[in-house]
Amino acid sequence: MDRRKALRTIGFGTTAITVTPAVLGMLQSCQTQTSSFNPIHFSKEQFSVVSQLMDLIIPKTDIPGAIELKLPEFLDGYINIILNKPAQEKIVAGLDHFIKGSLEASGKSSAGRLDRADLDAQLAKYLKADQDQQKAWQDENSAYQKAVKEDSTLAQPTSAASYEFADQLRSMTINAFKTNEYIGENVLAYVSIPGEQKGCVDLMEATGGKAWSL
Amino acid sequence: MNNTFDAIVVGTGISGGWAAKELCEKGLKTLVLERGPMIQHPVDYTTAHMDNWDFEGGDKITQEIRKRQPKQSRTNYVNTESTSHFFVDDNKHPYNEDKRFDWIRGYHVGGRSLLWGRQSYRMSDFDFEANAKDGIAVDWPIRYKDLVPWYSYVEKYIGISGEKLGLPHLPDSEFLKPMELNCVEDELKSAVAKKYTDRVITIGRVAHITEGTKPGLGRNTCQYRNRCRRGCPFGAYFSSNSSTLPAAEATGNMTLRPNSVVSEVMYDADTKKATGVRMIDAETQEVIEYKAKVVFLCASTVASTSILMQSTSDRFPNGMGNDSGELGHNLMDHHFRLGATATVEGHEDKYYTGRRPNGIYIPRFRNIGGATNQKDFIRGYGYQGGASRGNWTEMIKEMGYGEGLKDAVLTPGGWKIGMTAFGETLPYHDNKMYLDHDKKDQWGLPTVTFDAEIKENEKIMRKDMTVQAAEMLDAAGFKDVTPFDKGYSMGLGIHEMGTARMGRDPKTSVLNKYNQLHSVSNVYVTDGSGMTSAGNQNPSLTYMALTARAVDHAVKELKKMNL
Repeated sequence: MDRRKALRTIGFGTTAITVTPAVLGMLQSCQTQTSSFNPIHFSKEQFSVVSQLMDLIIPKTDIPGAIELKLPEFLDGYINIILNKPAQEKIVAGLDHFIKGSLEASGKSSAGRLDRADLDAQLAKYLKADQDQQKAWQDENSAYQKAVKEDSTLAQPTSAASYEFADQLRSMTINAFKTNEYIGENVLAYVSIPGEQKGCVDLMEATGGKAWSL
Repeated sequence: MNNTFDAIVVGTGISGGWAAKELCEKGLKTLVLERGPMIQHPVDYTTAHMDNWDFEGGDKITQEIRKRQPKQSRTNYVNTESTSHFFVDDNKHPYNEDKRFDWIRGYHVGGRSLLWGRQSYRMSDFDFEANAKDGIAVDWPIRYKDLVPWYSYVEKYIGISGEKLGLPHLPDSEFLKPMELNCVEDELKSAVAKKYTDRVITIGRVAHITEGTKPGLGRNTCQYRNRCRRGCPFGAYFSSNSSTLPAAEATGNMTLRPNSVVSEVMYDADTKKATGVRMIDAETQEVIEYKAKVVFLCASTVASTSILMQSTSDRFPNGMGNDSGELGHNLMDHHFRLGATATVEGHEDKYYTGRRPNGIYIPRFRNIGGATNQKDFIRGYGYQGGASRGNWTEMIKEMGYGEGLKDAVLTPGGWKIGMTAFGETLPYHDNKMYLDHDKKDQWGLPTVTFDAEIKENEKIMRKDMTVQAAEMLDAAGFKDVTPFDKGYSMGLGIHEMGTARMGRDPKTSVLNKYNQLHSVSNVYVTDGSGMTSAGNQNPSLTYMALTARAVDHAVKELKKMNL
């Protein structure tokens, strides 16, 4: 559930809501989930933003979304064990740019205050931008990559860096989603031991239109 | 322990396994030495049943693996979380590079037979006659007809799946039923057949059982899991562990000794023969000598050559069998990592079943006579590749994020196709490995230094490799045809060979036509080091045939009291 929204509802309208044990239970489970996890790569505040962003990229439908599937936790570990130091630092720098842009756009003072709507607006700005704009940011980033080799003090332009971060986060979120055990075994077409190989078959007959898990 | 045997085999990979099996089945008490630990089929395939999500990073190469295996990691694919335990720790097993050389190794019983790509192609007289015709290096001392019965013999035992084509330059093997092309590969096949008379698309020929069973420790039909490199619990692809070593074991004639680092072959100047080998126990550091009537070096190209280089005596101050000075020279590999990719429209309602551990193959079509002969380069190349339905990730920028994206990534993406060429590398005397006696390994043995690179002929060939790939994909009407060259450094093909070449003349070669050292008749070397030229075919099948043939020769010679 959307913990932030629930908390806000409680905060602003104490009389309007009956806090039943069931609601309490949900709130507690949400809280335990976030508070018990200590990210290795991100600070808690960064992790909270990344989690919201991932949940916007892969939201809950009739299939669980990023937060419920613990994709942010997977990503934190993935970044920690798979990526090298420069790649790790680049992600944090990109995230900082992204947060900075989000704060400017929302007029809020700290990352902790950014809500789902603020982050959605910012994500849309980058990932739903028209192709020309996306191309322009990509070009800006390649130009920066070249220039920074000559002069390491150069700063990456905020919009281009935010775009790069959002784009990378999307790829990594999809990777996390497709590497997830629940998705891999229950949602995608999963056959542990196929036992036979057919080169050209009808998609609907083979998997009902789903992609193979493995 | 009795230290005297009829035969000693050094190495348990694809060649060593075959030498062990053949020697034991012919009744010789055989000691088989392996430098690494035991890997028992199938119980030691610890990751065989794990899915991607059972690994912390989803089965990728972690930073920790990169630290332990900086050189193995140059492949960027072999040593992921599910397989890194089968590859060497580069810090514990160092080597040196005058020029970059990617030496990819597995030190354990079974060696790289557990890890290989399983593509299996016969060589032909276009290969065996090539050096003589081109006036390059030295002539092979054998021709295709010498190997034909031995190719058949090993193929029937191991199981090769493939399609009969009747091509003179890529002779058919004894085939089990071929795996299937998918819809897009079929489309490419038709398009290429329509446009070209010189080339053909076929399914890869692989050492997989596709029907029935084969002898060994439980060898069954392929289950299409495509997790071969983790070790196959079904024994569906050929490895020493599932096949030749159990066969040798079953005779009661094999003594298999893991953790045995062979340092040299011992020589007796009076008899002019090898007396056996000296080895170091990798765990206890104990130095032990074993005696035998015949020694088979099957430790892999670089390792067998190092052992010969370390086997010095008054008679052989520069390494055993090195009267020619060619030992360590003529190092070859197959150069690759270039070709073309494309996307394919249509077939949206089509898919495939099974994770095919194989791809398409395009046999060599250059320099095989008539119009195929090229003016600017000699020899040839083949392509390996395949089509699949990708994951949408890279193509869905316009999809943004959210529910639409989520739905899309759960369905098969558009079709894409790609192919990469594997080209012949010429045997250059300049391309060499040598020993550095100042830098020792943990057993006090000298380390290997590589000094090799591709040269003009390969570089010119590489241009043709990308152009032709792109042209074929164009001919099929595929979209976004993109040629690529990801660059190549020696060794990356993991087909290192040629450093103790076969030849007719002891003055210019190390081994004779039966893989015997010209100058020490009871030492046979039957791994890749004997290769006089590289061909462009994946070489393991040829090593197996050469090994079986060499053992047959050795046992006959022993019976005639010639060894």
